[in-house]
Amino acid sequence: MTHLTEEDLILAYYNEPGADLAHAHLAACPECRASAESLARALSVCNQWTVPERSPEFAHDVWTRLVPQLYLQPQPKPRWRGLRIWTAATGFAVLLLAVFFAGRYSRPSTPPVMAGLSDQARERILAIAVADHLDRVQILLTEIANTSGANPETFASDRVRAEDLVQEGRLMRQSLAAQGETPTTNFLDEVERFMIEAAHTPDAPPAAPGRVSADAVRELRDRIESGSLLFKVRIVESNLRNEEQKL
Amino acid sequence: MNYGDDVALEQARSGNSDAFRVLVERHATAVFRLAYRMTGNETDAEDMVQETFLRAWREIRRFDGRASFGTWLHRICANRTVDFLRARNRWQPALSPMTEDEEHDPFRGLASDEPSPERAARSAEAGAMLEPALAALSEIERTAFVLRHYEGLAIDEVASALGVQPGAARHSIFRAVRKLRRALECHA
Repeated sequence: MTHLTEEDLILAYYNEPGADLAHAHLAACPECRASAESLARALSVCNQWTVPERSPEFAHDVWTRLVPQLYLQPQPKPRWRGLRIWTAATGFAVLLLAVFFAGRYSRPSTPPVMAGLSDQARERILAIAVADHLDRVQILLTEIANTSGANPETFASDRVRAEDLVQEGRLMRQSLAAQGETPTTNFLDEVERFMIEAAHTPDAPPAAPGRVSADAVRELRDRIESGSLLFKVRIVESNLRNEEQKL
Repeated sequence: MNYGDDVALEQARSGNSDAFRVLVERHATAVFRLAYRMTGNETDAEDMVQETFLRAWREIRRFDGRASFGTWLHRICANRTVDFLRARNRWQPALSPMTEDEEHDPFRGLASDEPSPERAARSAEAGAMLEPALAALSEIERTAFVLRHYEGLAIDEVASALGVQPGAARHSIFRAVRKLRRALECHA
């Protein structure tokens, strides 16, 4: 008789879909039943860990602390303002890259001119620029992952932002390639392919400016989830931030 | 009319902060429970509750209703807390010793519904056993485990909350349970 694996026992413990076969096996196999009971005993310790009770005023206190912040950051944010911030961010990233390239390519002919920026400083600038770029990618991915596609105005601006990120990402890739940073370069390539698709999301029939197909948005969402893109962006960004601290 | 989440949501979406208040007061304790399990201490958990609702207010127009409002809040809270833990890079134990002020506060415990002494003792004992075991988990493993074990989310929902594939969520849960089992078996 083939016994259940620990994974099977865990799925059976949580009654996940497909655990029926495992339950049937447990009913017939004392050895696996003993393992299942041992797992349940160990996890029962977790069940005894309770969360400290909140006072009856807790929810009210949360609201009281929240109110001033709500009006500091009003909910309906004008789209043009968001776009202007993105444009400024892109401009800043380009400026950082210009500094990076200027230092890299002018150094051999006139070393004293760029003496102000060491290799380490340039690497740090690049790490900051790429991490900031990934931060903007993460925001857009999160928004796409949580959008229904039902709001055409919102997605029209998302397409513009995706296009900005394609341009910005290309500059980053070139800079990283010049440094020989292959893994991050390859990852930016993956991000760029997604952003190109997002920037060219087809219009819904009947075609109207800015109105996007809900199916196309769903496909984008599925791509984010199936490739764990959001998760990878977070990891790479976090690694770059750590690297940036060390430089 | 039953002023349910749907009605409050509809009004909050159009910028009605009173309607949002209804949602905050209805879900604050559940969000706190999740944040506490993830951070391991009350202060950080309360901060995460604030951040969760602030983000929810700013993003409420994007909420598409595919999941319940509570699940959506859980997703925001889980993501914010993972980022917070990564930035802090460590897990604060649940049973941190009381500060001197707390120790001498004569009203300590009066404001909240204290659990029975037996239950509190069992919880403290369980917390003491769990503390090192949970600290040994990665942020993703701990979050996946908390969402599955304590919040009762199915693996697919855990995956959606974490923005990963169901396979990745399943393996995070497996790794978390395996590590916890090894650590807790001798106590069980």
